[in-house]
Amino acid sequence: MATALAVSPTRMELLKLRQRVGLAQKGHDLLKEKMDALVIEFFEVLRRIQEARTKALEQLSVAHRALSMCFAVVGTLETKQVCREAKRELQMEISTRHIMGIAVPAVEVGEVERNVLARGYSIHTTSSVLDEASREFERALKLLIELSELNSSAFALARELEKTKRRVNALEYILIPRLKEALKFIMMRLDEMERENFTRLKRIKAMLEERE
Amino acid sequence: MSYKIAVIGDQETVTGFALAGATYAHIHTTREETLAKLSEFFASGEIGLVLITHRVVEELNPDFRQMLWAKRLIPLVLRIPDKTGYMPKFDELREIIRRTVGAEIMVRKEGG
Amino acid sequence: MSADRIIKFELSKLNVHLPVRRLSLREALSSPKPQVVARDGSVHTFKREELEFLAGLLPEADRDKLQLPILIALEPKLGRGTARISGEAEVKVVRQVLKKKPAAGELLIYRPEVAILRRKLPTTTQYLFSW
Repeated sequence: MATALAVSPTRMELLKLRQRVGLAQKGHDLLKEKMDALVIEFFEVLRRIQEARTKALEQLSVAHRALSMCFAVVGTLETKQVCREAKRELQMEISTRHIMGIAVPAVEVGEVERNVLARGYSIHTTSSVLDEASREFERALKLLIELSELNSSAFALARELEKTKRRVNALEYILIPRLKEALKFIMMRLDEMERENFTRLKRIKAMLEERE
Repeated sequence: MSYKIAVIGDQETVTGFALAGATYAHIHTTREETLAKLSEFFASGEIGLVLITHRVVEELNPDFRQMLWAKRLIPLVLRIPDKTGYMPKFDELREIIRRTVGAEIMVRKEGG
Repeated sequence: MSADRIIKFELSKLNVHLPVRRLSLREALSSPKPQVVARDGSVHTFKREELEFLAGLLPEADRDKLQLPILIALEPKLGRGTARISGEAEVKVVRQVLKKKPAAGELLIYRPEVAILRRKLPTTTQYLFSW
């Protein structure tokens, strides 16, 4: 790309260029405001993610311990068999909501924790450690679902933030300086031409005065 | 719209979430098989969330990253530790924060 | 000048998430699904708990005056990091949320206050870019 804009040094061009600088400056300032707003939203989501992540990971590790206990007491094969019999139809409602025009998922899930009967496996052939494991994993699942919603929002915001930042930089470091350069060039040339005109007129005047 | 849940990982992870109500499950076998299953889950239209362990993701990369980048908004994908609590040193979210905000901000890693 | 066209395009996209018509607090409270439709067709739903919180901050008569979402106006000429809140009922409510003394007239708030406002009222406030 050329480093300077090719423009002819006329007053028309000067006017047009001034407008273009105005537009670019306006665009730059507004996109910077947008960037600032995105950062506010992004950090809010991050704050909530930190909390949610800690809780979810702690619960997941509790759940794994309960499952290990279950494997030990009931046996791996039996546990897996129960898995096959259990009701595995958990539904989550996902809709889109918007933050500053960016689509992010909004997730709603009903009661993830079920009582023993709702789990679908026959209760007299299974032991309480299995119920325990199910319950802890249900709790973990609920927290992880919330975390996934926040995560998606964070990634969507980050993407938009990066895009906006790139535009702001392109305006600030490439377009606006170039436009201002061209502006300076035209103004210099117009000045020069006016001085040349002025000296030429003086000479003509002197010549005319000599003749008289 | 209503969606179901899928889980990919080792035996314990898959069993645990199946007990909790996850409908679709895949215990990791080979890279090819698991990638195929993942594609199936992404294309399903019925699945709202895919839980997948960090260990499996490591084996599937870089294909996994490519799939994440190309996928639509749904299903949501969440990487989780398995029973060993293993999490990679590279924290994607922290990378993004550093890149977009241009400064290193400490993301506290607790638990797992 | 494609650069100009890109800029104009970006500017036109800035406020496309804003609703075509705002809802008064009264209308929102009485609706089973309080939402507004944005210019880009997206639907934005207000959380009931925020509506009830807002109702508690105003006398009943003002419920028609408060237009939702409350607009946080970002204007470059205000200076970076400054936002404006307009509207009598809106200003009343925001002053209370930010624990400021009651006063009349438009309100200018600063970035940390914007963050607080957005945290307390995530679905009933939105950014407006103006120039």
